[in-house]
This record gives sequence, structure tokens and C-alpha cells, in this order.
Amino acid sequence: MADLAHRASAMPNQGFFRLLDGLRGKWPAIAAVVGLVAFWQFIVTGFAVPTYMAPGPLDVLKAFREDGATLLANLWPTMFEALLGFVFGNLVAILLAIWFVHSRTAERAFYPIAVFVNTIPIIAVAPILVLIFGNGLAPKIIIAALICFFPTLVNMVRGLKAVTPATLDLMRVLSASPSEIFWKVRIQSSLPFLFAALKIASTTCVIGAIVAEWIGSSFGLGALIIEATYNFRSPLLYATVFTAALLAVTLFSLVSVVESRLIRWKTSDVH
Amino acid sequence: MAATALAKAPPRKASAQATENIAVSVRGVDVVFGEGDKAVTALSGVSVDIPDGSLVTMIGPSGCGKSTLLRAIADLIPISAGDITVLERSPGRARRDRNFSFVFQDATLLPWRSAIDNVRLPLEVGGGGTVHAEPAELLELVGLKGRENALPGELSGGMRQRVAIARALVTKPKILLMDEPFGALDEITRDKLNEELLRIWQETGTTIMFVTHSIPEAAFLGQNVLVLASHPGRVKEFMKVNLPYPRKLADRDTMAFVEITAHLRRLLEEC
Repeated sequence: MADLAHRASAMPNQGFFRLLDGLRGKWPAIAAVVGLVAFWQFIVTGFAVPTYMAPGPLDVLKAFREDGATLLANLWPTMFEALLGFVFGNLVAILLAIWFVHSRTAERAFYPIAVFVNTIPIIAVAPILVLIFGNGLAPKIIIAALICFFPTLVNMVRGLKAVTPATLDLMRVLSASPSEIFWKVRIQSSLPFLFAALKIASTTCVIGAIVAEWIGSSFGLGALIIEATYNFRSPLLYATVFTAALLAVTLFSLVSVVESRLIRWKTSDVH
Repeated sequence: MAATALAKAPPRKASAQATENIAVSVRGVDVVFGEGDKAVTALSGVSVDIPDGSLVTMIGPSGCGKSTLLRAIADLIPISAGDITVLERSPGRARRDRNFSFVFQDATLLPWRSAIDNVRLPLEVGGGGTVHAEPAELLELVGLKGRENALPGELSGGMRQRVAIARALVTKPKILLMDEPFGALDEITRDKLNEELLRIWQETGTTIMFVTHSIPEAAFLGQNVLVLASHPGRVKEFMKVNLPYPRKLADRDTMAFVEITAHLRRLLEEC
């Protein structure tokens, strides 16, 4: 009984210490961020920098409070475009990679085209797509998808081919069919490569959506960035940029969580 | 030469007595890689009979084609001339019937599968076979009880090879083909696994063909040692090792054993 009571009283304490333990490893990062923000406010206040030129952190915080509704209203379309672009771009890349691995001819025919498409600056493609698809969601989703597409294609092809000859020998001795080799070996061994690409895509799809919104759009974080810049509403501009970054970080974290759930094994040949 | 410990069989000839069943029969086999001027003869006129239930080790200098012979028996590479029968079937037929298993130099475990799931792999592909052993019991047989759920990355090199042996035994094969399975392990681990392989051989009655480049290993394990010469790969001698089983590691310090290894060393120098 005494032991139980002791344990109960120790519980919150342990939780507190565990929190401290958790923070101990992170304190350099926290201190650096706090320091940088303080330095930023100091420069802005100390040199009397006009707010339209560079707002201080307090101004940005105020913008978050006052224009929170506007930010949120413009966050949803951008998030929607980025997410759909992420799904479509990666899906097409994965399916194409699977086709390439099964057909040498398909790879020879379409890989150079994929490389060529990748070399066109996304900012140059955007106006073309807006001309074709208008001002709606479609061109934004396509641009977000395009920007995700190439890294995933390259990594997925590499991942599906990253099966050692010895493993293929093993599967042959076991008389495994090509589809069994694909599902039991190739897909699994491609996962670390795929997630390396998906992590890149999770942040670039947000960039794609925002760039697309710059080219003639009346909604979304991209449009808000243009509008805030032209109207010298710098605190709102900064708040928008932070919101976009927050969106990208959230997507990145989600992909990382899924990755750690799916891939419990370690591999040495993935960068 | 000590006649008591060595019984010399004529080269290129079967040593099995007429009453014994033959597990693997190799008749005048040539294996040629490449074509025209670049053709390399890996094996030339190799003939040998492996008695049912025996343990035959294969040794020879680099390039003698000992691995090539094993891979030809396993239907991993085609033969250019001659005939191979495995349990009176073609190698391809025997492979599909799950008459043999293959253990590679690398454990070739699928890194995302736990030890026991790796042992189960042969039951999940290629039709799965008709008979199978209990994976948990096999892991116990190879001394890995309690590590069933460990991932390959969490196991040592020796443990991984034990899992590979358990996986090879799960289909209850008549024949076990082993291609330098302990070649990448340290000497202490190798000694231990040598003893355990002999125990497993005596418990299961499986025919084992074991390629090695270690003279002591070849002599310690084998009822017979198949010595191959190189350029081109051919049978030098099919030698009977007259040492009683069960053999203990300490037997390697006996005079009889040293005479056998000395004879093998002389043979290899002539190759």
C-alpha cells in the first residue's frame, strides 16, 4: 500500500522530469529560435525600421491575431491544391516507375521525356497551364503534381531495382512468380527510396501550389502574398509566409510519421 | 600417405556403391559462359554421384567452378553439355517440386521481415510446396529460440545465417545445397555452426552438398570431399573421409584429421 501511494505521488513528478529530459536535448534549438526572434525585434525597434519595409515579430503576431480569419480562409485552398497535387503527382510517378521496371522499352521511351519536363522551370510552366485550364483549382493542382513527380519517379525506379542478385537467386530457387517477386520483394525494398522522395514532395507541393497562385489567382496563400506585397501590408505578408511554412512542415511531419510506422527496418544504401 | 584415414576413389567416377540411392547425379557436364572468342569454360566433363543422405563438401582453387556446379544443380545456371539429375528428375523439375533448398554465402534475408517471417517465406511463394516443417521449431533447431520476432538488422552475421538455414529446412528438402554459407563469418562462429550443421544433418537425414574454400571445414564436415581443379573446372578427386560421426571440434587436432587435411592441401597445390 505504502508503495502504491509512493508511486502515485511520484507520477506527476516523473512526468515533469521526463518533460525536462525531453527538452534537454532540444534546448539549443529552442534557445536559438528565441534568440533570433529577439534579435530581429531588437534590430527593428533599435534602428526604427519602418513596418512596411520589415515588420518586427510583434507586428507579425498582431497580423496573425487580426487577420487570422483571412489567413485561414486562404490556407484551405492552398492546402487542398498541395495535397491533391501531392497525391496525383506521386501516384503517377509510382505507376510510371512500376511500368519502367517491367518494360525496358517504356523506360527508354519515356524517361528522357520525364527528364526534359523536369528541366522546364515550374515558374515558366505555370502561365501555360493557366492559359489552358483557366483560373480555377486545376492548374494549381497540376503544378503541385508536376513538382512532386520527378524526384519520386527517379527514386521509385531506383528503389524497385534495388534488389540484390542474391535475393533474386533465392526467389528463383523458391520458384517464385514475377508477381510474387514484385509484391514480396520489390515493393518492400523500394519503400525507403519512396519515402525519401515523398519527404521532398511534401514540402515542394506547397511551393508548387503557391507559385501557381501567383499567376492570376484570387484565392490561396500565393494570392495573399501578392496582395499583401502590393499593398505594403508587410506584417500580413510575413504571417502568410509563416503559415505556408507551417503547412509544409505539417505535411513533412505526417509523411515522416507514416514512414516510421511502415519502415521499421534500417537500410544502408538510401540517402 | 595414411591408408587408414584415406580411401582414394578414382577421379571422374562415381564412388557410390550400387546398393545406395543416388540423390544427385552429374554426368559429363560442361558449363561455358559467353560465346565465341570470349567463351570461358567454367566446368569441363564433370561427373560425380552424390549418395542419398550423404554430406559431400566441395573444395578447389578460385575459378574451379565449385559454385558453378552447385548453381547448375540448383537450376540457377544452364549447362552447355552433359546431364544433371536430382532425385532422377531434371534440376528445373526438382526446383519446382521443392526437392532442394539453397543456402547462399549471404544470408539473403528480407530485412523488413522478422526471423520467423523469413523462415516462412518459402511457404508463401512458388506454390508453397506440399509438406513443411514448423518455423518456430526450426528456429529452435538452429538455436534461435526467443529471437523469432527479431529483424535481420538486429541479429549478428552468424544468427542471420542460422535463420537462412532454418528457412532452407522449412520445406523439408531432400537435398540442401550450401554455397560457402559460413565464408563471411569469423572463425569462432564458423566452428560453432559447423558442429551444429553436423547435428542438423544427423537429425534430419538431409543430403548436403557444401561448397567451401576452407580445407579444415571441408574435411571436418564431409563424408566425402569433392576436390575440383581449375582452368577448366574438373574433378580432381572424390575422396572419402574415414572419420566416424559424431565429430567434435577437438577431433581436428587428431593425427588422422591432420593427415586428411595435409592430403587435401597437396591435392590443391597440384590443381
